[in-house]
Amino acid sequence: MSPRPPRLALRLLSWRLPEPDREYLIGDLLEAFHERLARDGTAGARAWFWRETFHVFTTRWPEAPVVSPDLPDEASMNSFLHALRAGLRSLNRVPALTALVVLTLALGIGATTSVYSVARAALFGAPPFPRSDQLALVWETERNGGDSNVGYATYEDMSREGVFASSAAMSYWTPTISDGTETTRLAGQRVTWRFFDVLGVKPMLGRGFLPEEDRQGANRVVVLAHGLWSSRFGSDSTIVGRDIMVNGVAYRVAGVLPTTFESLLAPGTELWAPLGYDTSLEWACRTCRHLRMVARTREGVTAGQADQAVDAAYNRLKATFPDQYAGAGMTLTPLHEFVVRGTRPALLALLAAVGLVALIACFNAANLLLGRALRREAEFAVRVALGASNRRLASILVAEGLIIAIAAATLGSLLAVVGVNVVVTLAPEGVPRLDQVHIDATALLFAGGVALVTSLAASVLPAITLLRAGIQGGIRAGARSLVSGRHRVRGMLVAGEVALAVMLVSGAALLLGSVNRLLAVDGGFAVQDRLTMELSLSGPRFNDSGAVTQAWRSVINAVEAVPGVSSAALASQVPLGGNVDMYGLHLEGQSGRSAADDPYALRYAVTPRYLETMGVALRSGRALAKTDVAGSPPVVVLNELAATTLFPDGSAIGRRTRIGGGDRPTYTIVGIVANTVHEGLDKRRDMQVYVPSDQWGEESGMTLVVHTSTPVESATGTISRAVREAVPGVAISKVATLDRLMDLSTADRRFALALFSGFAGVALVLAAAGLFGVLSATVVERTREIGVRTALGAPRGRILAMVVRQGMVLTGTGLAFGLFATWGSTRVIASLLFGVGASDPVVLAVVAGSLVGVALLASALPAWRASRVDPVIALRDS
Amino acid sequence: MNHGLGEFEQLVLLALLRLGADAYGVAIRDEIEQQTGRDVNLSAVYTTLLRLEDKGLVATRLGDPTPQRGGRRKKYYRPLAAGRRELATSLQALRSMTRGLTPGLELP
Repeated sequence: MSPRPPRLALRLLSWRLPEPDREYLIGDLLEAFHERLARDGTAGARAWFWRETFHVFTTRWPEAPVVSPDLPDEASMNSFLHALRAGLRSLNRVPALTALVVLTLALGIGATTSVYSVARAALFGAPPFPRSDQLALVWETERNGGDSNVGYATYEDMSREGVFASSAAMSYWTPTISDGTETTRLAGQRVTWRFFDVLGVKPMLGRGFLPEEDRQGANRVVVLAHGLWSSRFGSDSTIVGRDIMVNGVAYRVAGVLPTTFESLLAPGTELWAPLGYDTSLEWACRTCRHLRMVARTREGVTAGQADQAVDAAYNRLKATFPDQYAGAGMTLTPLHEFVVRGTRPALLALLAAVGLVALIACFNAANLLLGRALRREAEFAVRVALGASNRRLASILVAEGLIIAIAAATLGSLLAVVGVNVVVTLAPEGVPRLDQVHIDATALLFAGGVALVTSLAASVLPAITLLRAGIQGGIRAGARSLVSGRHRVRGMLVAGEVALAVMLVSGAALLLGSVNRLLAVDGGFAVQDRLTMELSLSGPRFNDSGAVTQAWRSVINAVEAVPGVSSAALASQVPLGGNVDMYGLHLEGQSGRSAADDPYALRYAVTPRYLETMGVALRSGRALAKTDVAGSPPVVVLNELAATTLFPDGSAIGRRTRIGGGDRPTYTIVGIVANTVHEGLDKRRDMQVYVPSDQWGEESGMTLVVHTSTPVESATGTISRAVREAVPGVAISKVATLDRLMDLSTADRRFALALFSGFAGVALVLAAAGLFGVLSATVVERTREIGVRTALGAPRGRILAMVVRQGMVLTGTGLAFGLFATWGSTRVIASLLFGVGASDPVVLAVVAGSLVGVALLASALPAWRASRVDPVIALRDS
Repeated sequence: MNHGLGEFEQLVLLALLRLGADAYGVAIRDEIEQQTGRDVNLSAVYTTLLRLEDKGLVATRLGDPTPQRGGRRKKYYRPLAAGRRELATSLQALRSMTRGLTPGLELP
């Protein structure tokens, strides 16, 4: 077989050469190659072929006429199909530029569509209940504006007032279910009997709850979530009416919910039982606000009318029980609002950011197309002079825009499929409906819309420029000074890109600063090598409080015996654990004060080594000790905030306080420890009190904290096993290291930071590319002028500075506008910021520095080229 | 609009006239190389041909594919009347300008 030309060279050739000319050009090259073979041998012929390929690449191929001579008759030339074909041919003449424009737009479309898909699922999807716009949560409003749960009596009275079509109250429930071998703790809810009716949900099997089941003692019935039914009960359709073991006692299964049911009011809930509220209990008071209330407003009642009706009802309650309702009123939160309010700020900020990216992509594409348009001005002028109608020319330009839109939409959709996965992977827990995010028809429609708008917007400016050139035809042709004036539009586009990039880089910098400051916050406790897990005891054998005490004691003993464990403790709640237990503090000697005015503190009932295990520093006095047991004098340790707030004179130690209601014992303050965060690094510090769990009274659910001297991950399995062996039947849940919990508490900001950084990077690259393009074009056009300057003795340095200055003027303009716009729009990301302001000098410096740096890089090559212009060649060429 | 023909454009048009019906890329390049002794790359020939085509000075037709060319067709060129006119004008100008200078340029 005879030798062949280099395959790579052939491929490069067919990529580079314009379509209609490709065939015979490559044919000629092949033929010549065979001639060379005979003359110079294989190596010589191949070297020659590469040389020719190189020439092809360095040659500036003229753009062929859009209306080529072999087009058929005039009539069909008017059809849009021909315009499309002409547009395709014309774009094909500049494959690299077309690819760049399509890629730029596709990047913007892909990013926008990805973020939009996530945001749409999380923010814009209506809750999956019939007439979900009628559903709202009902809160009592504190005097400080905060929302609070309601008491049972309040719920009953509000229901009786007839303000709502229907309503239900609910409370959290953490039942354990057991199948004999394994005990699992679940998220559950106890709800009043109409709960499922209020939501409009019909069980898939069986029924919901009956009024007579919503009573103390009669409420041992459950409704299962579809997931629990299939995972734990093998989708057994005969389960309705049978008993299952919940908390060690038999509960009858009343129904199974459909797979479409989504527990938006209490995410993750898998089991429901009737509330069966016992109004004779001490915590059934009106101020005991521990129930969440959901209601369906009446048909045809607007949100405003519902608010008024609720206020009126509340005022009637207040008139009847003036002592019990000290708050400001009641608030209705629409269900949709309730679901999205946690993540909305972050997602809206990201939507805004990705919108900016799309805008920059659009500017950049417009810039590229405008650059080409300026090179085609002469061609269009000729065309008009030869009689081509403006309509015909415009239709070709529109066709080019459409072709670009279709290509960009296709590529952008592909990018979006990838992008959505990236966003979902990065997204923190707590973004609603992350599992439902995917690129569907709506998302594709969205991508197509964005593609059409951006592509046409990017094509319009160049089209106007060209058509105007066509009209003014001969006058303008060859008038260089005017052409370079036209670069002002490109300059404005570039300055616009810089301004938009500044906004994104500022956002990223502000978030970076926030995350850094957040991570620098001292939580007040050690996170390294600390393991936490929630334990719960259930079933009849733990009805006796002595059994509970004994069980907890054996857990501690067993865990501390595990090799590598330094210390272990149990606590009623731990920082970052998700529980917030607050109690009123009533100091001794304040008998005149009402309990409603007591300041609230986080209350931790803990075993003796808790503070040591968590690494909370002792400030003064003593920590809790093993000797602080049930019979000994009650003692309490305060955090510094509580000590200084309650005893500004510094006399805390030795003073006494009651914790909780009037029947609670009075505790003597024996020590003061450091403040710790509770809900997250960015949350306010609260007063905290630590009481010995022995003295507080046993709780059947506690959190175990373990400090290990060996890496905590390797000890997790052994510790869990030790706990199970010590207390068979204990349910273990939420096993996590404090490290991990700390990570989760900053996850939303790090998510926003990751995306913002990506967007800012893309923005910088696009802005730099735009700047580079404009500067290069002006250098090429000013070659003659630069040649004259050099010939007249201008030093190369000055030429260099001239181009760099032009770049800096554009960058500076963009920077100024961008910083101004940033300053005006930080509200969008305000909720994500922590410890930094929009005018933070460090942030401004970082933004300005990075922009100027990138701009200098982008100007370097054009400036260097300008400084290398040989005056002899420049002047001879013209 | 008429700035006359460039030097290479003249060479290519002359090659077309010399080659007659057999004028296509490789042949044109070979002809110029043989007659002038210059090293000519094909890209230069093509861009010039495209320019001439654009100016309406040459016409083209596609030939038959041959196995040696990987089954690709040839594109043949012939000068149009306008092309001959342009060439004549340019050569006329050249001749006028060189008249009397022959000894100084050491031309035969």
